[in-house]
Amino acid sequence: MKTGGQVSVIFFAALALAGLTAAVHPKKPSFPDRFPAPGEISLQDVQNWNEPVLWVDARPESDYEIEHVPGAVSLNPDNWSEQLPHFLDGWRPAQRVVVYCSAASCETSREIADRLRHSGVDPVYYLKGGWEAWRTTR
Amino acid sequence: MTADTISPAANSQLRVLGWVALALRIILAGLFVLAGGLKLLDPAAFAAEINRYQLIPWWSCALLALLLPWLEICVGIALFTRWFSRGALTWVTALLIVFSLALLSAMLRGLSIDCGCFGRMWQSTGTFWPLLRNLALLGITVLLWWNPRPH
Repeated sequence: MKTGGQVSVIFFAALALAGLTAAVHPKKPSFPDRFPAPGEISLQDVQNWNEPVLWVDARPESDYEIEHVPGAVSLNPDNWSEQLPHFLDGWRPAQRVVVYCSAASCETSREIADRLRHSGVDPVYYLKGGWEAWRTTR
Repeated sequence: MTADTISPAANSQLRVLGWVALALRIILAGLFVLAGGLKLLDPAAFAAEINRYQLIPWWSCALLALLLPWLEICVGIALFTRWFSRGALTWVTALLIVFSLALLSAMLRGLSIDCGCFGRMWQSTGTFWPLLRNLALLGITVLLWWNPRPH
């Protein structure tokens, strides 16, 4: 068989097996866009990403010190200037960032997300329901 | 000229080269089967690894995450068994070139990502060493093209 024919046979064998994998594999990837456009995001969606996320706690530092999402960085309008360089040191380009504030009613997470985007951090999301949403699922 | 008509010394050299080519072929085949098998353990995680390169849309990352592992396994088996040997070598060459270009592109854009070459088994490998490894494997592939059927 000519080389082109061999290349085709190997490709179609792999394609058939890939189709079978798509049908039965429990950890198959989902085809709809798993990463929606930056904006508000639910905790469930974040957990489905199955990859490390950099959490940003936009609540006052006093609340952050009491309890926060594991690994979260404190970044709010009050400590923005001093904490942003530390945040940027820990952020890897293209790593997804999720900002949360106290509850669904607060606007700080949206504000911090906008500031981060203007600082070149992308993609940035803000958590629907904020800290309350996180706490109630723990 | 055949092995029967050349001098014993040259024949001996050919034999050694043949064995070296065979060993390299088995190593290459094993690496491809291993890489494909590890990626197949968690295609969703592999799709996320491809997505980190920021080169193609998500749907194609998902498609590649299903296809690439099997392609690597089929190529590895074909190399090992010598069925469709030239077809397998063509795929190996093409895949290694594409993987190397993707790694180079990530390096040039300053992306701090893992190679994703072996699924999630070997993480924090960065992009530099995997790129060097791919180039070494490309060198092996060139040798195998030169002598795809060792004596």
